[in-house]
Amino acid sequence: MPTADTLAPPAPTQQRAIVEAHGISKQFGDLEVLTNIDFSLAPSEVVCVIGPSGSGKSTLLRCLAFLEPYDHGSVYIDGQLLGYEDRSGQRVRTSEKRVDEVRAPVGMVFQHFHLWPHRTALENVTEALRLVNGLSRRQADTEGIAMLEQVGLADRAGHFPESLSGGQKQRVAIARALAMKPRVMFFDEPTSALDPELVGEVLDVMKKLAADGMTMVIVTHEMGFAAKVADRVIFMDQGRVVESGPPATLFRQPKSERLQQFLNTWRERHID
Amino acid sequence: MLDIALIWEMRDLILQGLWNTLWICLLGCLLALSLGLVLAALRLANPRLFSYPVACYVEICRGIPLLILLFLLYYGGPSIGLTLSASVAGVVGIGLYGAGYFAEIYRGGFKSIPKGQLEAARMLGISPWHALVRIQIPQMARLIVPPSTNQLIILVKESALISIISVDDLTKNATTIVNQTFQVIEPYLAVALLYWLMIELVARGGYALEKRLANRQPRHIAQKDNAHANG
Repeated sequence: MPTADTLAPPAPTQQRAIVEAHGISKQFGDLEVLTNIDFSLAPSEVVCVIGPSGSGKSTLLRCLAFLEPYDHGSVYIDGQLLGYEDRSGQRVRTSEKRVDEVRAPVGMVFQHFHLWPHRTALENVTEALRLVNGLSRRQADTEGIAMLEQVGLADRAGHFPESLSGGQKQRVAIARALAMKPRVMFFDEPTSALDPELVGEVLDVMKKLAADGMTMVIVTHEMGFAAKVADRVIFMDQGRVVESGPPATLFRQPKSERLQQFLNTWRERHID
Repeated sequence: MLDIALIWEMRDLILQGLWNTLWICLLGCLLALSLGLVLAALRLANPRLFSYPVACYVEICRGIPLLILLFLLYYGGPSIGLTLSASVAGVVGIGLYGAGYFAEIYRGGFKSIPKGQLEAARMLGISPWHALVRIQIPQMARLIVPPSTNQLIILVKESALISIISVDDLTKNATTIVNQTFQVIEPYLAVALLYWLMIELVARGGYALEKRLANRQPRHIAQKDNAHANG
């Protein structure tokens, strides 16, 4: 349960962060997967989270989205505490409805796409437009097609996910998240489940989003992409933020031994 | 030599039995299907609260013969102020008994849907109710049609047990004809044929539904299913 010292909302800053986390920790049984993480995301900022497998990157993203409830600390989205509320000095879990309200500015894309297989690409995109935003079928279809066009898949609107390639599925998943007009996008290893040849088409869509000013947090193993697109890179290991900074600094002058080691291993694998 | 004329003479009794079997089975199966869905949905919605009671219910249904349940309802009911007619006891008995099996069939269907699909729905703000109705049930429906069809067939066949609590169903009326005419083969063969026709109807309905739902699936999954169905 988050501690009492984290009940207060974040102090106003010059440019208020859209997503802010203070001292969040998470345990799975006896295993501490996140330890005292502070995080802040400014509007239009692109943050890439890198690190070895099991370092807690995805768990951090899932805690920021409250798909995994954090045990300690606090997460604020647009200044509103996510997942908990203060009742007579005690912090208690909020309702799922309240979680949805606070989390509304956030869209998320998953490693394994998680498209609904019984719905076509267009239906995947329009489902929430109809159910959550209350759009008519015609309005939702118009918006859905526009979203699919944005990711270059309007011609696949009537296809079921099973007949799409991995890259196409991920682009539909991006269109589905974008359809709800999020102000922040979370990407959880969006290219890790793809064939190397299909990675580029997804990264191109993400680059375009970044160029359009979308605020993004991207958990990724694509170092080249992180170096080109990120405003800031966070390196995590064993549930802690080891180092963070602009990609040029982080990749060229890593301070910590662990990051040097991680980058050397990556270079050996990808350059040699 | 079979005495076909006997069946014709007794046709009113047989048709009355058929009608009673049909409506009792229909209502009993509808009750079983709906109650089973409610039990499975409760277990899914709040496992901490409902998992244990629903699991107990399922185990009791699987552990008690339908006949004992019918006896408890019909003969035992009045002692706790629950007086049911034989036909209603038949409907309730089949419904309660079948619900335990259907709850497990539905649970298996729900479990087969990857958790990530629901997380994606939650991240889009889709409510748990809409996720259930629009994402889980349509996918689950396709998976549960074959085992549900089997279960319905079993329930229709086991409905013959309601004759023991004096419901004038097909089995009881066939026995009445046997007792009146001392002819055993003809009445029982006639009702066997009628049970077979009812079950064939359920089986064909199940196949048709399976095919219809498969048509809404990605082509290669439908082909795989059809290949499997064709043996």
